[in-house]
Amino acid sequence: MRFEITHRTSYTYASPVRDSFNEVRLQPFNNHVQVVESFLLKILPAARLRHRHDFYSNVVHHFEIIEPHSTLTVESQLRVITSNPPVIAPAAEPWPLARIGEALREPRVFDFLQDSHFVEMSPEVWRFALDATAGQTDTWQAALAVMRMVHAELKYESNSTSVHTHARDVLRDKRGVCQDFAHVMIGMCRALKIPALYVSGYLATESASATHAWMEVLIPGLGWRGLDPTHNRPVDETYIKLAVGRDYSDVAPVAGNYKGTTDRKLEVSVKITPLS
Amino acid sequence: MSDAADNPGRRNRPPMTQSQFQSAPEDTSFAKKAKPESLLSGYERGAAFDEFLAADQQPRPQYARLFGALEEFGPAEMRHRRDACERLVNEQGITYNVYGDARSLERPWQLDPVPFVIAPDEWRALETGLIQRATLLNQILADCYGPQELIRTHWLSPAMVFGQPDFLRPCHGIRIPGNTYLHFYAADLARSPDGRWWVVSDRTQIPTGAGYALANRLVVSRILSEPFRDNHVHRLAGFFRDTQAALMKLSPRGADNARVVMLTPGPLNETYFEQTYLARYLGYTLVEGQDLTVRDNCVWLKTLAGLERVDVILRRVDDDFCDPLELRNDSILGVPGLVEAVRAGNVVLANALGSGLVQSPAFMSFLPGLCKHLLGEALTLPSVATWWCGQKAAREYVLEHLDKLVVKPAFRMRLRLPNPAKAMSDAERVTLRRQIEFDPDLFVAQERVKFSTAPMWEKTGLVPRTVELRVFLVATENGYRVMPGGLTRVSPDAGGQLITMQRGGSSKDTWVISETPVEEVTLLHTAAQKVELRRTGNNLPSRLADNFYWLGRYSERADATARLLRSALLRSNPERAGSAESLIAPLVRTLELQGQLPEISQKPELCQNAEAFEAELLAAIFDPSRPGSLRQTAHQLQRLATLVRDRTSNDMWRALSRLNDRLSTPTSSIVMLSGDATGVLNETLLGLAAFQGLARENMTRAQAWRFLDMGLRIERAVYICTLLEATLCAPEAENPSLLEAVLDVVDSSITFRSRYNLVATLPAVFDLVLLDDKNPRSVLFQVNQLAKHFEKLPKEREEAPGSGKNILAKCVKRLNQVDARELAGTGGDWLASDVGAVIRETLQTLPKLSEAIAASYFAHAEISRTGRGSEA
Repeated sequence: MRFEITHRTSYTYASPVRDSFNEVRLQPFNNHVQVVESFLLKILPAARLRHRHDFYSNVVHHFEIIEPHSTLTVESQLRVITSNPPVIAPAAEPWPLARIGEALREPRVFDFLQDSHFVEMSPEVWRFALDATAGQTDTWQAALAVMRMVHAELKYESNSTSVHTHARDVLRDKRGVCQDFAHVMIGMCRALKIPALYVSGYLATESASATHAWMEVLIPGLGWRGLDPTHNRPVDETYIKLAVGRDYSDVAPVAGNYKGTTDRKLEVSVKITPLS
Repeated sequence: MSDAADNPGRRNRPPMTQSQFQSAPEDTSFAKKAKPESLLSGYERGAAFDEFLAADQQPRPQYARLFGALEEFGPAEMRHRRDACERLVNEQGITYNVYGDARSLERPWQLDPVPFVIAPDEWRALETGLIQRATLLNQILADCYGPQELIRTHWLSPAMVFGQPDFLRPCHGIRIPGNTYLHFYAADLARSPDGRWWVVSDRTQIPTGAGYALANRLVVSRILSEPFRDNHVHRLAGFFRDTQAALMKLSPRGADNARVVMLTPGPLNETYFEQTYLARYLGYTLVEGQDLTVRDNCVWLKTLAGLERVDVILRRVDDDFCDPLELRNDSILGVPGLVEAVRAGNVVLANALGSGLVQSPAFMSFLPGLCKHLLGEALTLPSVATWWCGQKAAREYVLEHLDKLVVKPAFRMRLRLPNPAKAMSDAERVTLRRQIEFDPDLFVAQERVKFSTAPMWEKTGLVPRTVELRVFLVATENGYRVMPGGLTRVSPDAGGQLITMQRGGSSKDTWVISETPVEEVTLLHTAAQKVELRRTGNNLPSRLADNFYWLGRYSERADATARLLRSALLRSNPERAGSAESLIAPLVRTLELQGQLPEISQKPELCQNAEAFEAELLAAIFDPSRPGSLRQTAHQLQRLATLVRDRTSNDMWRALSRLNDRLSTPTSSIVMLSGDATGVLNETLLGLAAFQGLARENMTRAQAWRFLDMGLRIERAVYICTLLEATLCAPEAENPSLLEAVLDVVDSSITFRSRYNLVATLPAVFDLVLLDDKNPRSVLFQVNQLAKHFEKLPKEREEAPGSGKNILAKCVKRLNQVDARELAGTGGDWLASDVGAVIRETLQTLPKLSEAIAASYFAHAEISRTGRGSEA
């Protein structure tokens, strides 16, 4: 499928702020299931952009605005062609759960098996994960079972949490948004020693006005596979992947600091148009 | 007869000779029976290796010469030298901040006068081992932040690198000039009973202590000057000269343009003294994060004259605190955008960000293997035996030998662990075992080392105390270089095992001796070098300008407060109850307005009762809890002096310290008499005069001095105007006695008498104190001085509200318009006169001037975090 996406983030400050330094993670991955045709990032007030790849290979743009300003707008425009990842049959059993420890042979996998900023493997999480996967012997099947459990147990409720909500609070209140669904599922998978990472991006089927979040698990021999606990399904060509990390704290679309008031207003709009 | 003149043999140590001579009779009577008190009578060496006495109870060769000298001094002389040592430490203001110490921020540094001596051949072996170790650790860092071959080939476990909070992901892949991550490295060494040296811990992030080692040396080389000379002790200056050269060479713009700064976390840090000391010794600007800014990937220092490019940062801020953008986003100590500037290669940090990684004790168990693998040679300087529980075999060994080992956190994080100094209880052992089994990666265990002992001076003689030696290395073009010396730390009590300065240990100078006379080196330029002459120093950071300004204001506030209180005390004689009150009314009113005597006009009964009033005045001097009391002001002064310590002379610092000490001496148990109090006030005024005089005579007429003086002038103008306005309000304003008091406060009585030779009258007093531009205590004089300063300052910021220059010009004009003779004919309603109006206007103007200065020159603002985008 082919999409055009416009993603705009605007801050309005109660009084002028200055010395604003920011990191942006809005440029989609370019890989075999997702080809970026064009990408344009605009900053207002105008600022010089630099970019680099971070530790998880995300493209990060940097910019600074020294002069006093009362509004800041970060807008990305992109075109992307997506295709479906190779399908794993719903009943397939590609890798025994008992041998999941071998996933650690790849050194970079280590990060996706640890506690992270918003995710911890507490005894509660571990027990929850064991309940969800009772009787499962295959890694893929276990991951699907965890996804079903998270989808069934958590209630989707807009604005019930913030971007700084920890998975432990989500599990306690049993409600949240896509970010929270992903965090809880990541914690459960890690508790089962299945490597799990966080993905930020867009979901094109939604009449979405914001970004989406889901997760990926590592199935040895097959690689990383995306699962969306919010919608209880594996990802397909309607998902556009922006950035990955241990959890939300590694992938925030816009993050930074500045000098001045904390009194500010934030507006985010995302427009996704399917192209033929 | 008095001293050395009659005693030629002892001429070379005059200060100590006299008292030693006096105590001699006692000594000789005692000496008839036993050998005179030997320094060694209390020295009983234990099972540990003793640095001083060999197994045969004879001093080891490297100590022989030093010990001979100490024996010749004898106990009395040693006591004097020990006292001199303490005095020098205090005078130089060497301190160490102890976290959570309620008594005071700074604690004097503990220094034992007896140095730790190391033999030449032994030192050579240590040097080789240390250089090898630093080289090895640097290579490990280069790999972890680069290709990560060691992890891929299983030399290192991923948990050892990725599992550590000190592995900084944003710093991975940054290209570092020369692949030097570890510019500075320090190691803590201990000697086991068999005489071998072991590394107890590696310091790779911010190796501290080299400055203390230098400070110790400067003190001990003075109090033991003769043995220092005779022992051929290696000098430390060469090490610091190499440090300077190495840091200059790091500059991306070339060594000729290198601007090196030292980044400090601020005065609350435990080693802040060392930072100011080293910054000054090495000639670097000491900056805090807020003094620096990043523009277009370059780092700049914010100075009064604008931005100045920074090339090299010698950092004392923990690496994860250095950049709130990419590292810890809650850090207020760092510089946003710094990591990106490093990445772009426009600035070099020493040590490189992330170098804390190999400080983890877990690495120790891998060093022998890694040394063979990376350097192709055996590790010559062993680490204390270490087991990382992340490895199965090691973990099993540790769990079997829990009681024999010391379990520590493997990484920089807090873990609740049993006190290693005590035997473990059964419950503790069970808990510890469970902790290790649950998350083994987080734990290491180390062998208990019996540290060696060395002689320390205690009251009457030498005693053996446990010591640990910290040594320092710097990376130069030609590899690592070791400081020939170090910081020896001493356990606070006999048989002590844990040595930390936080828990009150002492320290020693460390003498590496040579068979032959050593080369003298200093940091001064040699004649052959081309020296660029500089007359200006426009590089004052804005934050320091702010601090100097307030230092000036507070010094004058203390001065004014002391003068007002002294005059009030002298005139409020209980013998003359009631009568004095109206005569000091303007003084009391000024003290009330300035906050020393809060709401006293609401309490007329206080002024009637002479004793109660006197108590109130004493509280205004000594009460530490009363806002605005002289004691509080003195405390503020010292706090501000701490903030500008690297820019002021030691004498200025001492003057203020003494002031603060003097005011805090009286304790609650002592009843203060007003006579004592005036004595204290007199001393306070002399102390402040010394401070202000030192500032005037010793500071170059650069910006630091200018801001100090501006603060002083504004404060003085404010208090004189307040006093003059209060005078005009007083019913008995024309009373000569009242006017005398006013003249006394503004220190103008003598001038007045020499000019008028008659009783004080309102017009004459006001002319002298308000309008006489020759009187350095008049208001007009202050305002004129301020205008002169403004001429010399960099241009004010345009967006700043109200221009300071304009405000001043208007003020001068108004003051020049009035004539004090007007007051003679006003007939009582003096306040309504033109003079009264001008005083009032000036009082309203001065705060605006202060705001204008702050807006133009001290701009700081709080840092906020950009909110992050919301998610569906």
